[in-house]
Amino acid sequence: MGKYSDSAEWEDIVPISQDDGGPNPLAAIAYTEDYSEAMSYLRAVMAVDEKSDRVLGLTEDIIQMNPAHYTVWLYRADILLELQKNLVQELEWLNTIAIKHHKNFQIWHHRQVIMSHTPTLPSSEISFLARMFAKDAKNYHVWSYRQWLVRRFSLWDSELPYVESLLQSDVRNNSAWNHRWFIVFARYTDPEKHSIKNNDADSQVEPGIIEREIEYTKAAILMAPQNQSPWNYLRGIVRKQGKGLVGLKSFAEQFANLEKEDEVRSSHALDFLADVYAEEEENELSGKALELLARRYDPIRKNYWNYRRSMLGFEQVGA
Amino acid sequence: MSTHAASPSQPAPNLRSDRSSFNKERHIKYWLRCLKTHLPTAYTSNDAQRMTLAFFILSALDVLGVLHTKTTPAERNEYVDWILRCQHPNGGFRGFTGTMVGEDAALENCAWDSANLAATYFACAALAVLGEGMEGVRKTECLNWVRGLQRRNGSFGEGIGKGGRVEGGEDMRFCYCAAAVRWMLRRGDVESIADIDVERLVEYIETSVTYEGGIAQAPFHEANAGLTYSGVGALSLLGKIPRKGRPSSDGKMMSPEFINDLTRWLVSRQTLMLQDIEDGLDVAEDEFAHPGSAPAPAPIAFPPTFHVLGGFPVPAEIALHGEPLALEVSPYDQQWVGVNGRCNKVADTCYSFWVGGTLGMLNQVYLQDFNGIRRYLLEKTQHMIGGFGKMPGDLPDILHSHHGLVTLATMREPDLKSIDPTLCISVSARENFEKQTAGGKVNRTL
Repeated sequence: MGKYSDSAEWEDIVPISQDDGGPNPLAAIAYTEDYSEAMSYLRAVMAVDEKSDRVLGLTEDIIQMNPAHYTVWLYRADILLELQKNLVQELEWLNTIAIKHHKNFQIWHHRQVIMSHTPTLPSSEISFLARMFAKDAKNYHVWSYRQWLVRRFSLWDSELPYVESLLQSDVRNNSAWNHRWFIVFARYTDPEKHSIKNNDADSQVEPGIIEREIEYTKAAILMAPQNQSPWNYLRGIVRKQGKGLVGLKSFAEQFANLEKEDEVRSSHALDFLADVYAEEEENELSGKALELLARRYDPIRKNYWNYRRSMLGFEQVGA
Repeated sequence: MSTHAASPSQPAPNLRSDRSSFNKERHIKYWLRCLKTHLPTAYTSNDAQRMTLAFFILSALDVLGVLHTKTTPAERNEYVDWILRCQHPNGGFRGFTGTMVGEDAALENCAWDSANLAATYFACAALAVLGEGMEGVRKTECLNWVRGLQRRNGSFGEGIGKGGRVEGGEDMRFCYCAAAVRWMLRRGDVESIADIDVERLVEYIETSVTYEGGIAQAPFHEANAGLTYSGVGALSLLGKIPRKGRPSSDGKMMSPEFINDLTRWLVSRQTLMLQDIEDGLDVAEDEFAHPGSAPAPAPIAFPPTFHVLGGFPVPAEIALHGEPLALEVSPYDQQWVGVNGRCNKVADTCYSFWVGGTLGMLNQVYLQDFNGIRRYLLEKTQHMIGGFGKMPGDLPDILHSHHGLVTLATMREPDLKSIDPTLCISVSARENFEKQTAGGKVNRTL
C-alpha cells in the first residue's frame, strides 16, 4: 500500500527494505511510511544503477523528505548528466528546494556541480541569489556558492557595487564585508594554489586600491563606530599594506580619547588604540585603554582585557 | 603530542548563582530517551547522519557519567554491532544503514553506498566512548581510504564517488575529520601504511585563516566558529599548536601572531545579543525585560558610495551623531553572555562549545566569562524536559543539547566528566586510545 507499490510504473522493481541489524540500532528514527517506502525503492534502483526519468522523480521525492541525503544528490547529478537533461530546468527546481530548506548545504554543492556543466551564466542566477539574500543576507552556503560563481564566470567588476548596496542596507553585515575582501584580493590568486595568506603583505595589489579600501572603511566606521566588522577589515587592510596601525591613530582617537573617558564612542576604537600605543611602546596608555575596556566599555571580555594587560606587565582590573 | 583539558592550575570559575541550576537528572532522562526510543520523525532529514547523532547520544551519556550504568553490557554490544555494521568493506564508515543493499552490493553500485569521512570520525569516537578498542576497525583500509580523499590543495573530500572521484565540497570540517581519524588510528605498527600529506593540509588551513583572525570553510570565505574549531582542532591533532613546555615533535609551530589574532577573534564571539532582533517576537525575553536595557540599535543606512570614482560623501558632522551613545551596558544585562559563530550574529548554544572548545585547545578557556555563559546556557537555553535548545525558548535537539552539555564540561561543571576539547570526548574515553596501542608498542607518531 503505497505510492510506489501501487504504481504500474514501478511494478518491475522489488524494493529492498532497510536492514538495521539487531534489536538496538543507534539513532533509529520514526520514519513515515512514505519515506520508508521511497527509500526501499531507491535502494533497489541504486543496486542496478538505473538511470531513468522515473528515478529522477524518485530522487526528487526523497530530497523533499530528506535534503541531506548526500548520495541521493550524487546519484541525481549522475543521471541528469548521463541523460543530458535540461540543466536550466534543474536549476529552477533547485530554487524551490533551496528556498524551502535554506539551511541545507548539499543543495548548494549540487547547484555548483550543475553550474559547472553550464557554459554561460543563466540570466536568472543573480536575481535568484538576491532572493536568497533577501531571506537571509548572511547565509553561509549562499555566500560560499557566490564566491565560486564569481570565479567561474569572472564577475569581479559587477560584484563591488553589489556588495556596497548590501552594506548600505546593513553596515553590520559581516558576510558582505568578507565578500568585499574576497572581491578585492582573491582575483589575484589562483584557487588551485592560493598560496597567499590573508595576513601576508600583498605586492600584487595596486597601491591605490589599498588607499580606497581604507577610505571606504573609515567612512563606514564614522557611520557606526560601535560595529566590529569594519574595524576588523581595517586591521586586515593595514596588514596587507605591510604597515603598522599607528597611521590610523588620530582616526581612532576621535572615537576614544583617553583624556575624556566618559565620552568613549567605540570599544573597538579602544581595542585598536591599545595596539597602536603598544606599537609606539606607550605601555601606560595601552594599559589605560585596556583598563577602560575591562571596567566600563566591554566588561563581558574582562578576563581577556586583563590578560592583555598582564602581557604588558599590569595588574588585573577588579570587578 | 596529546591533547589536554584545561590545566588545574588555572583559576576555578565561580559557579555560584541564584537561579542557575544544572538539572542533571533531566538531562539523563532526555538522553536515555534518545538512546532507547525512536527519534521523532522530524529527524528524518538527519537520516544520513545517524552516526553523528549516535555519537552525540553516547558521548553525552558518557559525559554525564551514566553510559555504563544505565545500559547493559548486552545493549552496548549491540550498539557496537550497529556501528561496525556501517563499516565499509573498503575502509571507512557510512553515515547510516540506508544505502546498504545487502547481497546486491556490486562494483557498479558501490558509488551509491560509499563511506563518509565525517561518519568515520564519529564512528571511531563512538567506539572509544563505548570503551571499545579499535580492533573492529579495518585500520589499513580506512587510513588508505582517508589518504585517497585528500586533494592536491591539501583539503579533503567526504567520500569517493563514481570513477574514483573525490566528492564533497571544500570544507574545513572534513580536514578536522581526516586529522582526527589519523590521530585515532595511526598508532602502533603503521609504518607500512602511507600517511596523508600533512604539510599540504597545514598549508590549506593556514590559507583559510581570514583577515579577522578566525578560520573559514575554505580560503577567502568568512570566519566561523565551527570551522575555526575544525581548523584549530586539525592543527592541534597534527601537533602544530604550541603548548607550554612541550616542544614541537615535527616541524614548525603556528606563529604567536596567529594565536593572538585567533584568541581575539574567539573572545569577540561572546555577545549580549541573545535573540534575533529580525525575528521580532521576543517572547522568552519579555519576562526578563528590564527598563534600563537599551534596545539593539537599528541598522543604519549610509549614503550612496562612489568607491570606483574615489569620492565618499559622508558628512562627518551627521555621521558622528548617527548612533546613540549606549556603549555601557547595565550590570543587569551583563548577567547572561551568549556566544555567536560570526561577527555581528546572534548567540546560539552550539557556538558556546565551538568557541570554548577551541579556547580549550589553546589552554585559554579561562579568558571567557564563565559565569555569564553558564547562566546563559542554564537559564536561557536549557529546557525543562532536559537538553538545550538553539536559542532561548527553543525545544531541545540532539546537536544543541550535546554542545550545551560539553560546554559546561569544559568549564568544569561539577558532576560532569572532564572532556578533551580537541577530540570532543571525555578524557577517560580518550585514554582508550592511549591504552590500546596495537602490539603493546609505544605510541610513536603523536
